[in-house]
Amino acid sequence: NMSTFKRKRGGKAPGDNKAKKARFIGNASSAPEDEQEKKNEISVPAPVSKGKWTNKERVLIFSSRGINFRTRHLMQDLRTMMPHSKADTKMDRKDKLFVINEVCEIKNCNKCLFFEAKKKQDLYMWISNSPHGPSAKFLVQNIHTLAELKMTGNCLKGSRPLLSFDPKFDKEPHYALLKELFIQTFSTPHYHPKSQPFVDHVFTFTIADNRIWFRNYQIIEEDASLVEIGPRFVLNLIKIFQGSFVGPTLYENPFFLSPNMHRRQIRLATAARLREKQIVKELQSIKKSEAKDDVVRDVTADVFRTPAEEKPVHIETEPPEPKAVKKNKHKAFKRQRMQMARK
Amino acid sequence: HHHHHHNHNHNHNHNHNNCTKKWRLFFTRIYYLFQLQEAFAKGLLKPGMNILVNEPKKHVNNVEGLKHCLANFRKGLPWVERLDVTNPPAADVVAQAEGKLPTADNRDVNADDDFQREMFFYRQAQATVLEALPLLNKAGVATKRPEDYFAEMAKSDQQMQKIRKKLIAKQTILEKSEKAKKLREQRKFGKKVQIEVIQKRQKEKRAMMTAVKKYQKGMTDKLDFLEGDQKTAQGSSQANKKALNKKGPNAKRKYKDQKFGFGGKKSGKKWNTKESHNDVSSFRAKVAHGKGGPGGKKGKGGKHNKRPGKSVRKKMKSRS
Repeated sequence: NMSTFKRKRGGKAPGDNKAKKARFIGNASSAPEDEQEKKNEISVPAPVSKGKWTNKERVLIFSSRGINFRTRHLMQDLRTMMPHSKADTKMDRKDKLFVINEVCEIKNCNKCLFFEAKKKQDLYMWISNSPHGPSAKFLVQNIHTLAELKMTGNCLKGSRPLLSFDPKFDKEPHYALLKELFIQTFSTPHYHPKSQPFVDHVFTFTIADNRIWFRNYQIIEEDASLVEIGPRFVLNLIKIFQGSFVGPTLYENPFFLSPNMHRRQIRLATAARLREKQIVKELQSIKKSEAKDDVVRDVTADVFRTPAEEKPVHIETEPPEPKAVKKNKHKAFKRQRMQMARK
Repeated sequence: HHHHHHNHNHNHNHNHNNCTKKWRLFFTRIYYLFQLQEAFAKGLLKPGMNILVNEPKKHVNNVEGLKHCLANFRKGLPWVERLDVTNPPAADVVAQAEGKLPTADNRDVNADDDFQREMFFYRQAQATVLEALPLLNKAGVATKRPEDYFAEMAKSDQQMQKIRKKLIAKQTILEKSEKAKKLREQRKFGKKVQIEVIQKRQKEKRAMMTAVKKYQKGMTDKLDFLEGDQKTAQGSSQANKKALNKKGPNAKRKYKDQKFGFGGKKSGKKWNTKESHNDVSSFRAKVAHGKGGPGGKKGKGGKHNKRPGKSVRKKMKSRS
């Protein structure tokens, strides 16, 4: 019975005891078929065994208040893609960030993806390893969700992803740390009860323009033909901290420009342009109103003065001889003929 | 005596002072003013404007700390748990075929060129898949899903149907626009051909007339122009006539010719008999009710079946 019970911060709902039980989604439907097709054993894989799941990674994905629809969909998409994730209610702005560690502990999660929305415009993402750190804060841009019709691929819900990294991740120590963080957070544990045993999609993390670009592709064929599933986003690193949401700063991104600064720069640029136009206008008006000095010397006076000697002026009193126009040969000929006939 | 008096601790321990940012700024400014006053009293400040020069902002890059942290944080999991591969993108077959894009360019992809960038990511994923599949097969992890394995997908069937519909719609629009373009081209081409044929015919006719005039005036006494022209004139005029006659006189013209033209019985055509009263074959509903107004009228009023002008008709007539 879904009674309206106000859940405590990070606490479990009353009727939620089924959460720990493993749900065999895919295999439950194929179990009756299993018996029927016992002879075709190769096509049906063995059911996921409880004892084999050792990598107990759990990621808590939640957000602060004031997020918009796109962020909400992104969070839902990430929860769909990562079967080892858990959800939680929105965090109040009043609570400080280190409260998140307590929430993670209550939910028994050791990783956290926290989305924070500021000014209803900018989205920040925290990724953290819960009790002891490290953690990192990013600015998220260019979000496209699973529901966009241009993302035509599809994959099994909860299948394990391949992770693909740019070689640039190994070149710098801060990128190396981020790579380890991403690997531990995004890779689905082997034999996780909610996972599917097939590997049919790949997450890519690439570094370009000092940002980290995330893409998710579906593997169609063994020859590596891919189609994008989504979601996709761009992470702009701000800082890396030694602790989880607290602690000394290990790295600060020198290329990061806060969105406020960015907007300010744009405003200043437009203002500067307008001011420049005004100044130019003023200068022109001043120039026009200035007293102009008269030009005494004519600079173009000797343009037509050629260095040859003067020819005597010859006035013709008689008209010149008419030239025979070659085009109208007939006419000249005819007139001459007539003249000759008259003469 | 550097001017950076702002001694605020830039960490995220939110438990130090209760002052908000505004008050902090105010206090630091007061403090700075106080320092200036002190310095002035001591005679350290020189006359003139003292401009506050900011130190270039230092960005923290604690390499040692990062490495230490990574060493502590790293979990020595087997590859089959992590499934991570680090690789540069696969070779770009298309660019290589075109002969451009040396390998040195691959290092720094231009983030603003959307297509290039996405292809870069795509090739990186491809290289990963190619590298990882043999490893997966070795580790015994399946990658191919059998046909009878039904399980929940990340996107619902509804969503996939929407996607498919959109793709199909895009395709049809593209095809339609292609067809329309081709038709337009054909029509233009057809018009061009028609004009050319008419011009050719006019030229031939002119040449023929001048030849005839020359013969009449006695300039030449050869009559061979007749044969040469006749052969070509006959063949071409017939073909062209056929093509022209199709469009030639339309129904209205035909009716008027029949009524007011030459030849045939004209009188006794209009009788008010029972048969003619009951005959409603010449009733046009659209014209009677004024329907098909702008579409039909515009079409007609445009270039639909326009009767050629007087000079053109004369030429056509004299040619035939």
